[in-house]
Amino acid sequence: MAYHELIKNFSRIRDYMKEFYVYGFKSRGGYTQKSARSYDDEKRRVESWLGDFMSFKRTPEGKNVFLSIDSRTVESNPLYTAWKTKSFTDGDITLHFILFDILYEPSVRLTLQEILDRIDREYLADFGEALEFDESTVRKKLKEYAEAGLIRTEKSGRRVLYSRSGMTELAGAEDFLDFFSEAAPLGVIGSFLKDRLPAHRSRFSFKHHYINAALDSEILLALLTAIREKRTVILENQSRRYERITTVEVVPLKILAGVQDGRWYLMSLHLKGNLINSYRLDFLKSVKPGEPFERYDTIARVYEKLAEHSWSVSCAWSRRRLEHVEFTVRVLPGEEYIAERLEREKRCGTVEQTDETHWRFAADIFNSQEILPWIRTFIGRITQMNFSNRTVENKFKEDLEAMYRRYGIEESGEAGS
Amino acid sequence: MIFSELYSAYYRSVGEIISACLHGHPDEKDLRKIVEQHAFSESALTVLPALKEERWQLLRKDFSTPIRHDPSLPLTQLEKRWLKAVLQDPRVKLFDARTCGLEETEPLFDLNDIRWYDRYADGDPYEDEDYIQRFRMVLEAIRAGKPLQAELINRKKKPVRMRFIPTELEYSEKDDKFRIRITGSRFANLRLSRISKLEYYTGTGPWNYEPEPETVSEVVLELRDERNALDRVMNHFAHLEKEAEKIGRDRYRIRLRYWQSDETELVIRILGFGPVIKVLEPESFAELIRERLRKQIE
Repeated sequence: MAYHELIKNFSRIRDYMKEFYVYGFKSRGGYTQKSARSYDDEKRRVESWLGDFMSFKRTPEGKNVFLSIDSRTVESNPLYTAWKTKSFTDGDITLHFILFDILYEPSVRLTLQEILDRIDREYLADFGEALEFDESTVRKKLKEYAEAGLIRTEKSGRRVLYSRSGMTELAGAEDFLDFFSEAAPLGVIGSFLKDRLPAHRSRFSFKHHYINAALDSEILLALLTAIREKRTVILENQSRRYERITTVEVVPLKILAGVQDGRWYLMSLHLKGNLINSYRLDFLKSVKPGEPFERYDTIARVYEKLAEHSWSVSCAWSRRRLEHVEFTVRVLPGEEYIAERLEREKRCGTVEQTDETHWRFAADIFNSQEILPWIRTFIGRITQMNFSNRTVENKFKEDLEAMYRRYGIEESGEAGS
Repeated sequence: MIFSELYSAYYRSVGEIISACLHGHPDEKDLRKIVEQHAFSESALTVLPALKEERWQLLRKDFSTPIRHDPSLPLTQLEKRWLKAVLQDPRVKLFDARTCGLEETEPLFDLNDIRWYDRYADGDPYEDEDYIQRFRMVLEAIRAGKPLQAELINRKKKPVRMRFIPTELEYSEKDDKFRIRITGSRFANLRLSRISKLEYYTGTGPWNYEPEPETVSEVVLELRDERNALDRVMNHFAHLEKEAEKIGRDRYRIRLRYWQSDETELVIRILGFGPVIKVLEPESFAELIRERLRKQIE
């Protein structure tokens, strides 16, 4: 098939863009799942859409292609571009502009036949080989636009009249859209709205801005819709490690958004196993709505209580699975910002001052492994640790010793004792 | 449906082309410019032939158009519902957002169905009227290029008075805070929530100071792909400019570019990954890690 810049289906480009943007170390031969031709086409598309951010590197395995973007320096998320590339037919685009020209303001109300007459008489007569739009094509298109909210239909006797929906004023919304198209969930929709405004310079920039979640927007929308409707969903989930796709039916309970790594999760009740399971949104291939779930409110309430003990995504039905975590850090005079850090960054648990120069964090959480990365950020001032799960505590200490070795540091005493 | 031709860059380009043809006599070069501005680098190769060859029957041979009105489109239901959903966000109060026309619209999602589980707890006070006023004043000052003067509590908790020219409002999703990026001062930015009083600066004093220009530094890491480290590290640092290379069966070399002013934050973040990553260069950065490890041994 000949190359086209636009695409019909988003899922393949979603995979490639993620590889180019998040990982970016594979050469052409590393994309084992897809054909070389497919790789060439997708690379060419991304290059055309995002050429300014595309980089290349020669390695012994071949040429690596990657997207390198400092998201702090861009006004708007460049990955939104991918959502503006849906293909269409010659008839689609021609009919689109003609229909909205005929129905140019809400007061123009016409029947299908009147619209058809005007298309042929006023719009296509000058073209040598004029496109032909039959009644069913135009009716279908009007129905599609009515479902999208662009067209209104009303009955007048036995006739159906079509008119365009009223305009919503967006003037003066520049700042609002500049901000929320980046900072709100499903911001790509805000970016569609921004496209309607005259070009302008944004007065906002964004730090710690993870832009790749944009590629999962349709997955997120399907999940949020199911949560609102309190219904189950059927997920196709792909394991990154094994590349195997599994299908599961779950009750979606909550979306967890990570602002420290850009990873978004679905928290859900796995129906068959009666487990609280998490799924990474970027690993979900598809989400299909299932049936309304009767006990939704009860389950959601129980989950909310249990989630108070989740450091990130681990959660279980029974509080008996909670593990106690405790560590103390040294805070010298003038270092009060460390105590502030504990308060600010803790996601659950308590912080207390134990003496003039020591502060202790304590919590009961479902998986003490999850808190280790945070505790490591206090390396250099950890004076005491106490985990009910000794295996995890020992793992922390072993890791610390491994770090000493990796950086060539002689250990003269026991760390963290 | 989010992925729809209604939002496509091609539809947008063609709309602009029709407008240009309605109001003037553009030549092919002008049309090419329009496509380049609103679509992608190769788009002109598709859009212009499709119009010229009358496959898209919207322009005649002489670039006149049977379309009579400037193309415009009402908001789609998806767009309206997104706007309605965003209006639940407490940060909306910072903006003078008008909500007319959305009364009957169902929000696209409920913000309570999402939890930002690792966001810091001391975010800015978006409900505070004084904060809202100061936010709007900063935005207006940026728009008008006007200087401001502020009284604030600095990092050392001391009251300070300063004047500056705001250039941008920077929002951190992790901190849930706004910083004003500024010029005309020794500092490059200041936290909006630290300001206790803000007004336009009307004095005529000279602007003697400029912040040090931000320098971009590099750190090179070696990663061992254990415990899913590759995925965790690449996602964690995804927002930075970076390069990754596979150098062994389960080993990778990653080069990150960061703003020098964020170095301490980066040291802490790298420490968080434990032994699966090691700083290879520069030596000065590796020494910052060693320093903390040595302190831990003490």
